[in-house]
Amino acid sequence: MIASAKQLPGIKPRTARSNIVVGIAEIQLSSDPEAVIVTYALGSCIAVCLYDPVRRVGGMIHYMLPLSKIAPEKAVAKPAMFADAGVPVLFKAMYARGCQKSDLVVKVAGGGKINDDEKIFDIGRRNYTVLRKLLWKNHVMIDAEDVGGSKSRTVRLEVATGAITINSPGEVTSL
Amino acid sequence: MTAVAAILNDVESLPALPTAYTKLCALMGDETSGVRDFELALKHDACLSANILRVANSPYFGQGRQVQSVRHAVGLMGTQRVLEIATSVVLTGQLLEILPGFEIPARRFWVHSVAVAILAERLAKELGLRTPELTFTAGLLHDIGKLVIGTFLAGRSDEVVAPFLGGERALPAAARVVIGADHAEVGAALAEHWRLPEGICHAIRWHHEPERIPENRLQVDLVHVADGLAHTFGHGGDVGGVARGIASGVNKRLGLTTAQLELVGAETLEEIQTLAVSFGETDGGNP
Repeated sequence: MIASAKQLPGIKPRTARSNIVVGIAEIQLSSDPEAVIVTYALGSCIAVCLYDPVRRVGGMIHYMLPLSKIAPEKAVAKPAMFADAGVPVLFKAMYARGCQKSDLVVKVAGGGKINDDEKIFDIGRRNYTVLRKLLWKNHVMIDAEDVGGSKSRTVRLEVATGAITINSPGEVTSL
Repeated sequence: MTAVAAILNDVESLPALPTAYTKLCALMGDETSGVRDFELALKHDACLSANILRVANSPYFGQGRQVQSVRHAVGLMGTQRVLEIATSVVLTGQLLEILPGFEIPARRFWVHSVAVAILAERLAKELGLRTPELTFTAGLLHDIGKLVIGTFLAGRSDEVVAPFLGGERALPAAARVVIGADHAEVGAALAEHWRLPEGICHAIRWHHEPERIPENRLQVDLVHVADGLAHTFGHGGDVGGVARGIASGVNKRLGLTTAQLELVGAETLEEIQTLAVSFGETDGGNP
């Protein structure tokens, strides 16, 4: 575990960390080593988590839908609603904090679905497919992911370490 | 006594509804009711009137118009729409008093209910269908049975949740094993106890099994799909989340497409968030 910048030798880190909540169709960034960036109840939505271990900056987007062309006016007001409009905003916000693309650790969670015979409700798969294409085009590799299936996920990113925890019904996993 | 009757009988905290509620309920579904009937029903309940106005002025209902009075609201939206707001305000005000169990934090339960109400109406519009009367209220109250069961189980909700987490049973089935009824049955009985119109009782009873209602299936289908969509987009919810399914035949009956679901999702996010806050602030009026 990487020690946080504010941590002094012999002093235990604070256990009560501050939560920075990423709502649906929102982006949050933090370089506060005490902070945990968290998003709740991802169903078909996807959280892309970026972490720069050199500068210890974390960022997360919680997007709902794959492509902004479905509601262009919403994409202007709330780009983070869509993968194609929002994910570039997240990367640019990280660059604005001095992060380098080559340093970024990219982790992805969500994209689940409820079952239906005709697969009409599988927006999660579309969300994931569009993300893969977008990252591929921009030469970004996904370092780890927990996507798909019929489960909801809550995702936490520790800014001090970049560690990611995923809670889904009955299980807790690290990413 | 049936399991459902025993549960309702045993839950002491079943709320006493405001006296105005009974009068409003009698007006519901009565096409001839008008402004005058409304004003009489609300005459002695200034608190309820104020709460109705606040919700009527939310972006979802108000559409940017400034609603000045209940009379004004009736003029703008029509009697049945304002009645729907009024009964929603009364019932949700009482529901907030019930302690939730079932691992549902009150706020998340609440956002989910508002999301299903809005999504059901918006879906009908997107599909070019005439929205059945009271679809909003049916969506808002579809899961009320969960709150009753949660209260009934008190500290024992683990007995229902554990078999679900272990992958043995779906949540409603687990509830039937433990207490002999699921939230849909209990919720429908509560809606009958509150003398809500039949269509709302049916939507609550069959929202997981729309194929089991022989006629007037549209409202139940809409609530069923809206429920699935709310979980898909993570609008509040419960311990189950997306571990559920859409009943066979619903997609075909409604003629749904993925593009329509995505558009409805994009267009309702903000409305759901602001209306959930607006309802959450209300109390239910005078007892």
